[in-house]
Amino acid sequence: MAVRIGSEEKGDCLVEVEPGRDGVTVETKNKDLLEGGIRAVVREAVAALGVDASVRIVETGALDYVIAARVEAAARAAAPDRALPIVPSVDRAASQRDRPRRSRLYAPGNRPRLLAGIEVHGADCILLDLEDAVPLSEKEAARILVKHLLATIRFPGEVWVRINPIDAGGCGDVEEIVLGRPHGICLPKAESVADVRALSELLSRIELDRGVDEGTTWIMPILETAAGVLHAEEIAGADPRVVALAFGAEDYTRDVGARRRWDALLYARSRIVAAAASAGIQASDTVFADLDDVSGLAEECARARDLGFDGKGAINPRQLPAIHRAFSPTKDELDYARRVVAAAEGAEANGAGAVALDGRMVDRPVLERALRTINYAGRLAGRGEER
Amino acid sequence: MRNAVGREIPERIGSRDVEAYRGPFALRRDGRKVARHQKGAPRSEDKLLPSIDAAIEACGLSDGMTISFHHSFRDGDRVINLVLDACARAGLKDLRLFPTALFPTHQPVIEHVRNGVVSRIEGSMNGPVGAFVSQGGRLAEPAVLRSHGGRWRAVEAGDVAIDVAFIAAPQADPYGNANGIRGKTPCGPISFATVDARHARQTVVITNDLQPYPVYPMEIEQGWTDWVVVVDEIGDPASIASGTLQLTRSPTNLRIARLTADAVVASPYFVDGFSFQGGAGGISLAVTSHLGDEMERAGIVGSFGMGGGTKMLVGVLHSGLIRAILDGQAFDLDAIASIRDDAAHVMIDPGFYANFDSRGCATYQLDTAFLGATEVDLDFNVNVNTHSDGRLLHGIGGHQDVASGAAMTMITIPALRGRMPMIRDRVTTVTTPGEVVDVVVTERGLAVNPRREDLSERFVAAGLPVRSLEEIKAEVERLVRPVGRPIFGEEIIAAIEWRDGTVIDVVRKVEGWE
Repeated sequence: MAVRIGSEEKGDCLVEVEPGRDGVTVETKNKDLLEGGIRAVVREAVAALGVDASVRIVETGALDYVIAARVEAAARAAAPDRALPIVPSVDRAASQRDRPRRSRLYAPGNRPRLLAGIEVHGADCILLDLEDAVPLSEKEAARILVKHLLATIRFPGEVWVRINPIDAGGCGDVEEIVLGRPHGICLPKAESVADVRALSELLSRIELDRGVDEGTTWIMPILETAAGVLHAEEIAGADPRVVALAFGAEDYTRDVGARRRWDALLYARSRIVAAAASAGIQASDTVFADLDDVSGLAEECARARDLGFDGKGAINPRQLPAIHRAFSPTKDELDYARRVVAAAEGAEANGAGAVALDGRMVDRPVLERALRTINYAGRLAGRGEER
Repeated sequence: MRNAVGREIPERIGSRDVEAYRGPFALRRDGRKVARHQKGAPRSEDKLLPSIDAAIEACGLSDGMTISFHHSFRDGDRVINLVLDACARAGLKDLRLFPTALFPTHQPVIEHVRNGVVSRIEGSMNGPVGAFVSQGGRLAEPAVLRSHGGRWRAVEAGDVAIDVAFIAAPQADPYGNANGIRGKTPCGPISFATVDARHARQTVVITNDLQPYPVYPMEIEQGWTDWVVVVDEIGDPASIASGTLQLTRSPTNLRIARLTADAVVASPYFVDGFSFQGGAGGISLAVTSHLGDEMERAGIVGSFGMGGGTKMLVGVLHSGLIRAILDGQAFDLDAIASIRDDAAHVMIDPGFYANFDSRGCATYQLDTAFLGATEVDLDFNVNVNTHSDGRLLHGIGGHQDVASGAAMTMITIPALRGRMPMIRDRVTTVTTPGEVVDVVVTERGLAVNPRREDLSERFVAAGLPVRSLEEIKAEVERLVRPVGRPIFGEEIIAAIEWRDGTVIDVVRKVEGWE
């Protein structure tokens, strides 16, 4: 039976696979220049899948990884018992657990047009979404696409995948996308320690299978229900893989029957920040949905920063500059931190126990915070462009 | 012979002896240009004619002559098609078409080439006519493409002798004064046509809005005009002045615009008196908008912005962030209104803008410009004429004029369009030499011409992602297999002139692909 996957949207391709036959038919706007390359990608993917199949492809600006993903998805749907998942070779090192994560830039895992170039915008984390953005009928194709994307792109920040809930397709997502070696997995609707443990155990098993160092794939639970927020503290400490808690305001307001206003969400936000801090991990705020409200975004970022959040979700690259500005130490903060450290070092050299700066006591927590600010700024500066 | 950008140029192209490009400013002409055509006029004369057909007859237009047009109506122009239809009715053959530019709406030109009414074209060809010419073999002589300034120079230098200039004018009076900024269907300045009106043997003003003497401003003057014809329609307003204005929402293009603006801010030119040229493309509009914000933030007042005028540029003027706009074209109705009503929005012609042989070009006063391209190569050479498949699809516009004029020329181009990489080992056609290009801005970073170490130091200090073209090229090559290449034959279908009249490259007929 022939199966069609993909679309004729810009950046995508429509692939039709018929098992048990041979041959590749290519349709593209620019046949003279592109046909050879497209054909080669298709042939390579078919060979890697280990099936006999004829492929018809209508290409509308698809990159190689998109074509390979579409061919794989179609072949596996057409010959589920024969086509083997492609295991790409991936060259990606694990990341540090406390690296700066000021922004997590969402992109829908089923839309090549919106995924193309997602790595160029300077986000701290890219978050490839398999959950809310992807309709049920495209879940399988999306996870295959995300796997190929993960294996292909080079990105100086972290790449994360938001999977579906573990009991609603999340297991299958993880099995597939871990082959692309993401830095971490966002677990939506996390409500309990058991949810996190289940994901962690699944990851351990796959890491073992794949010969990857165990425990190097991070988890970011998204707290977006009343139960999730109430269990924030246990979830934050549930597993060493958990490096951050994220807040999901959209689902949370629906769950508790709140209106989306700052005051209404203050309790949930505060609780998440406290839970994360007590576990020594980061807290990341929910997305800001109105793309055109530039000042609203800046204000919400500033408030979230004041509360203690380390970063925020972004639904479009246009939101990154405001987010990065809000969650980076300001020049004044950095100057003050340097003076605190200098004062403390001076006191130590003189054998004094405590020291005052601008008439205020510099004690251990103040010094630690200053050091953290300096380290953080240093790490940001070391990464080039992001501002 | 090999020219100064390493392109193989024949000694003769068609019936023309070729002077090969030697460098952006290598030539320096000193002498008199061709005098205008003058013939005097009686005290009283009726210049009004009932139809284009009557004008063709009155002008004595005959086989083999050269007819010229301007493109201020862009893709909304009706006049070129009307005139060529009339030429066909008159049984004329072998005309040389000398428009400033052709657009998709001029597709009927193809039929007039097939039936022999037109046998030569010298002018920008955007879209189907260019694609048709690329297939080759139909024109008696290869096409010639010139920049805005280059075309002006060619007319004044006598390289092209115009027999009849047909000038579409949104407003005219019966004595032959005309302009483009008033009337029923204003299109912005029609100053591109002034050099034609002055030098043609005969000049015909074609209008859909005849008003009593005198109409003003007098972009086209009575002293240059032989005949005036009134027709129902000269252009489609919907396609005249709004077609190009689309604010980009593409994250890739917005990223390029942001990096471009940030680079301008980091450059040594971003101080009081700063000047820039922006265009009507999506990226240019976004850069213009960012620059307005940045000037406001930094408290900088610029000297001038150069058009094509747009709502965005007019906004910058009216916020007091620049002192003037110099404009030869207007791309939307806000820009047209601003030219009409604001003395600081100055109409200029392509001679003032960029005539290589003159004693001064407005483009030489530019601090910075951001321009598009179809391809760039590792030597920073820029192609705006052909696509990677070898087809001729675009004119030069002001690209060469601005790129060689501005102190800092930035090319804004995505590293990938669909599956097509835009950074090539060698561009398919050299329109603008890398020698006059300072920065290439892609979504994957900025590449700075090695001649401009000073700029890359500043960009790096500002935290901008400075990379080599080789690096960016390698990065996108990880995403797409190598693309094919056109195989060119010997036959030349078009000559690309540098703005001084020498030949910088030729476009050859595509015979196949590898």
